[in-house]
Amino acid sequence: MATGLSAIFMTNRAALLRFLRARGAGEDAEDLLQDMWMKLEAKDLGPVTDPLPYLYRMANNLMLDRYRSSSRRERREQDWAEGAGGVMADPSEDIGVDERMILNQRLNEARAVLRDLGPRVELVFRRFRIEGVGQRLIAEELGVSLTTVEKDLQKAYRAMLLLKQKIDTE
Amino acid sequence: MINEEALGWVIRTRDPEFQDWEAFTLWLEANPAHAPAYDALMAADSDLDNIVPEEPVIMPVAANDRGPRRPLRWIAGGAVAAALVGVISVGLLNRSNIYSVTTRPGETRTIALDDGTRVELNGGTTMRFDRKDARFAALDAGEAAFTVRHDAANPFRVTVGDAVFEDAGTVFNIVHTKDATHIGVSEGKVVYNPDAEAIALPAGRALSDDAQGLRLMDVAPGAVASWRQGRLVYANASIADISQDIGRSLGVTLTAAPGARAMRFTGTIRLDRDPARFFAQAAPLMGLTAVRQGDGWLLKEGPAKEGDGPQN
Repeated sequence: MATGLSAIFMTNRAALLRFLRARGAGEDAEDLLQDMWMKLEAKDLGPVTDPLPYLYRMANNLMLDRYRSSSRRERREQDWAEGAGGVMADPSEDIGVDERMILNQRLNEARAVLRDLGPRVELVFRRFRIEGVGQRLIAEELGVSLTTVEKDLQKAYRAMLLLKQKIDTE
Repeated sequence: MINEEALGWVIRTRDPEFQDWEAFTLWLEANPAHAPAYDALMAADSDLDNIVPEEPVIMPVAANDRGPRRPLRWIAGGAVAAALVGVISVGLLNRSNIYSVTTRPGETRTIALDDGTRVELNGGTTMRFDRKDARFAALDAGEAAFTVRHDAANPFRVTVGDAVFEDAGTVFNIVHTKDATHIGVSEGKVVYNPDAEAIALPAGRALSDDAQGLRLMDVAPGAVASWRQGRLVYANASIADISQDIGRSLGVTLTAAPGARAMRFTGTIRLDRDPARFFAQAAPLMGLTAVRQGDGWLLKEGPAKEGDGPQN
């Protein structure tokens, strides 16, 4: 690891460990930090513009992966317990016609929800969530304040998450 | 129920510019319930991928505060996204109803404006129009042919970069790339920058604005916007310009080797949807060789060597 990342990692080891613990890693925090170190060693990353935020993001992503795999496992175990059968097919594969219709219907619902939020909110949400543009840049592009963009995003997120909850309980 | 605080952190940490991880740590430490709430919302957020439609939609944009017209840098980014998923992207301009239309390379599209004007977009083109003002158009990138219904009292104006072209009863074609603007007039008359230079371009005249400055030249009226008939017609045009036209019209990635870029060509090239067949016919015509290079093509100087040219 020829970049300054290793130095930054060592300097901020304690802060990163504290973050992982706060993030819910518990006793595994040290191990996760070790994983991060291995990953940094294995990959020859080019120069990183903001090394410390980069390391934090990496730690955060580790925790998100952990959460996702544990909730997948729980779901599998639950399915098993409920006698869903022995074949654990990946639901994303092989989408049937019925399911495709449902998917299309959901897309239409989402479209309607976004449309009802008004054009600016929809635009802000798309720029942020789909195209991955930062809020500061979006505010500049639209000539509105950062606060406006933040509020628009919260509004859009709330509506989309409620839609998701509704879909999940259907 | 959505945990509003956790949602705030989801949005903040999802921002590519997010820096304040110390503050995030403090919030997490404040309550052991915060981390699971954040995790649950982040998981819900990633599930949104399945329900959020990706295609941009046409969207009127609400009137905005008066203020300086901002350079719409984001339209370029939007156009890229639009090119990936479809044709129409969203446009916005202060105090008006601007929308933008993007074609993918190799795709053409005709826009009929309310006043009877027709705009034909060649591939790889981004334009903006105004729902409330049919006499306005902006060519942000690419190539378009205009068949304008003339109205002396309310002329049709095309904004291209910093320049404005005003019609005087006209069929004309504009190419706008990042280094050059080229207009050819086939019928009627166009006025370049009516409020400044006010250069009149009658049918059969063309104007180029590039690194060498403004140049006026003659053009065969029948050759203007010939891409609409599947032909590209040139009089002493550089291979650098021609290769951009070809890339746009056929939807191929085309580079010209430095030696080839400076060469010039006069003649007609017939477009062909099959790139291999097209280059086999067109490259020798221009005194060049075309070779496949990854996903695209490279134009080189000189005739094909054995086993070098495109194989049929």
